[in-house]
Amino acid sequence: MKPKVAFFDFTCCEGCQLDTLNIEGQDLVDLVSAVDIVEFREIHTGKADHYDIAFVEGSISRESGIERVKDIRARSDMLIALGACAHIGGINCLKNHLEMDEALDIVYGEDAKYYDTIPARPVSAVVPVDFVVPGCPINTAELVRIIKEILLGKTPELPNHPVCVECKMAGNVCVFEQGKTCLGPVIRAGCNAICISAGRQCWGCRGLVDDPNIDSQMDVLKKYGLTVEEVVEKFKIYNTYSEVAK
Amino acid sequence: MAQIKQSLVISNPDLRSLFEGLSQRMDVIGVVERKGKYVFDRVSRFEDLCLDYDVTVHPPTRYLLPAREKVLSMSFEGTPSASAEISAQPQVLFGVHPYDIHAIELLDEVFMTKHADPNYITRRQNTLIVGLNCLHPSPKAFAPSMGTSRAETGFDLLLTDLGEGFMTTVGSQRGADILDEFAKGRTPSDNEIASEKALLESAEGRYEVKLDIARERLPKLLDAHYEDAYWEEKSEACLSCGSCVMVCPTCFCFDVKDEVALNMKTGERIRTWDGCMLTDFAIVAGGENFRHDKASRYRHRIFRKGKYVLERYGMVGCVGCGRCATACLPDIASPAEAFNAIAEKAQIETARRLIGKAAPDEDLYTPKQAKVLRVEDLAANEKLFELAFEDGSTLGHAPGQFVEISVLGIGEAPISISSSPTRGDTFELAVRNVGNLTRALHKLEAGATVGIRGPFGNGFPIDKLEWKDLLFVAAGIGLFPLRSLIQYVIDHRDSFGRVIILYGTRSPDQRMFEAEIESWKADAGIEFYETVDQGDDSWTGNVGVITTLIPDLEIEPAKTMSVVVGPPIVYRFVIGELKKKGLADEQIVMSLERRMKCGVGKCGHCQINGVYACQEGPVFTLADLRNLREAV
Repeated sequence: MKPKVAFFDFTCCEGCQLDTLNIEGQDLVDLVSAVDIVEFREIHTGKADHYDIAFVEGSISRESGIERVKDIRARSDMLIALGACAHIGGINCLKNHLEMDEALDIVYGEDAKYYDTIPARPVSAVVPVDFVVPGCPINTAELVRIIKEILLGKTPELPNHPVCVECKMAGNVCVFEQGKTCLGPVIRAGCNAICISAGRQCWGCRGLVDDPNIDSQMDVLKKYGLTVEEVVEKFKIYNTYSEVAK
Repeated sequence: MAQIKQSLVISNPDLRSLFEGLSQRMDVIGVVERKGKYVFDRVSRFEDLCLDYDVTVHPPTRYLLPAREKVLSMSFEGTPSASAEISAQPQVLFGVHPYDIHAIELLDEVFMTKHADPNYITRRQNTLIVGLNCLHPSPKAFAPSMGTSRAETGFDLLLTDLGEGFMTTVGSQRGADILDEFAKGRTPSDNEIASEKALLESAEGRYEVKLDIARERLPKLLDAHYEDAYWEEKSEACLSCGSCVMVCPTCFCFDVKDEVALNMKTGERIRTWDGCMLTDFAIVAGGENFRHDKASRYRHRIFRKGKYVLERYGMVGCVGCGRCATACLPDIASPAEAFNAIAEKAQIETARRLIGKAAPDEDLYTPKQAKVLRVEDLAANEKLFELAFEDGSTLGHAPGQFVEISVLGIGEAPISISSSPTRGDTFELAVRNVGNLTRALHKLEAGATVGIRGPFGNGFPIDKLEWKDLLFVAAGIGLFPLRSLIQYVIDHRDSFGRVIILYGTRSPDQRMFEAEIESWKADAGIEFYETVDQGDDSWTGNVGVITTLIPDLEIEPAKTMSVVVGPPIVYRFVIGELKKKGLADEQIVMSLERRMKCGVGKCGHCQINGVYACQEGPVFTLADLRNLREAV
């Protein structure tokens, strides 16, 4: 019996699911022959009562989402948070700095009365999550690895070292040495430092490592010219829901 | 024809033709500019090559030990199988600074000697190294302090940019061959030789960071400051980001993981860089992290750079390139800074000691007066002396320790203590008459005064012997020190299992302590076996060397500890027999004789390789002696 796999989305851009569908070539062929995708709104209308693995994209930001994700959890053997919104709340949590009425007003104006909203939160704030696939968007190679490890009966693990490690492996010139700033030293690796390799910097989409030295990172960012406010802003983008931005 | 060790001058166009010639045959990895810094990368055009760089962001070692590489290919069809995966393209590392050449030589030592690493060696054998002397040191580098600013070996060619032309030193036959093929070397003029020398000396003068002490002192200095508060303080800001180890040319630790294809039919075993500064480096599956805090990881790295690598491989663990100091955002990574901080602490401590806060031990070399209470003849040439301090104090010794005994005017000698501390306030020394001091001792009678210093040495490891079966092997006067232990065991008989004593002497008239031995057998349940090398008319016991007693013994090796004391020749043979009985090195205890003149670890006579027998000995297990080749 192939494991029954389903994909669901909550508050998100669905980019992680789109990227899942972008898995190409032999990996795609092997993936669909290894698992049975019983529910995935972006590709078919199929439904199922029970899932071996449910992937959930998006943060929870409406009352109705709480009930729905609890229902999915109840019908799943394993629930995996897919992407930054599901994993750490992601950019949706930026609205948590506002009053909810104010947020509704900014976004929907006169039509705000038709909508409800609650402070955004990661899936793990509502139901237990077995594993996460971090990132905005996810690294599909990592998703494939995690699926393979589950199929092999291994417990998937995420790197517990920061982006700097993979950035050095990639041979990049440090963002700080280029006179810019970066969250890489406290953010969990696994992305192969893709943003820095592309000439950008780390925004922290994969969340913090297990035991980040935030005080020191703050000092470093200040030393490289950011104000306290700018430092906090930098952390807020993806990590508002974490302790760091509070 | 260019010769190894020869220096020739090649013109600037010739360097280009060397570069281009090599490009036809292999990947050329050289230094190029990127985002205002320098990096090693594939270079296809000579114009792109930087020959006046200070330091690269990443070391060239990544081309010998890549960040990620396959070590095994695996197949799961049928019976799972694995095969080594080794491949390498020919390459030349072009423009490697001497400090990096030293780092590569360390990697060669690590990966090419014991347990030769196939991936590394294959890549290394396909790699040419064209070195380049560094004329523009990086502001954070300290290569001269680490002895790595020049290279004598480790390159195929080594260049110095003279402005007009390059001084080119040949380091290998391969280097000579490519030079002959692609460039026209000519003998340098006196001016050019002087110019190279001046350029190198002036470059060395421009290093801004320096070690305040000689690097040879680092291992000992660090060792003395293992528990220092510095590690905790300094590592407070550590991000555990691993940048310092990832940019280090002498770091080579790695992790290994299996990656399986989605079809579950094939897979790869992959190794990737790992480093001791990362949080989970020393964690095991059960969750225990053996270097769980930042301070212990920080200290480990600095010790690795200044002590462990040097001691293990005989080469410096830090080449002073300064890359880690540049990469570290909180600015705590520079080994030079740590070394200097520790050196400064040591200096303050030394000063304090020299200023005189530490009180001199006035009596270090002054013997304490002891009275000879009793003298007993043991054999023709051996006597037993019972002694007590005149001030009423006790010796306070442990079995297996020794004293320095003086007869003033004659001298002083180390003598093992023959009695157990459990036998009252006096102590006994059994002495063979073999030299000036012992001859003088033998002339003494009860009532005489001698001088005693001590007790010294470590003594027998009682804690390792307790609750075990004991096999004592005493050859000749080896019984003298062993007697102190035998008496101790008898006085704590319930704490030990079976006790077997093997006693061997040259001839029946050299047997000693006969009456006492009889009481050991009768009263303490000790199994006693005896042999003499040569019998006489009256002798009816075993004849043969002491080793002949061992094969017939019935012992349980798992619960047995053996203690062997005798002349040096005996150890070699007895050890062999004991091993045949199934005893491990840890279960064989020996007391070694050496010339222990001072007893306090100063005079140097008793050294066994680097170990002082009077301090760390005279009792050792065979396991302790594994690295002491002078021992037995």
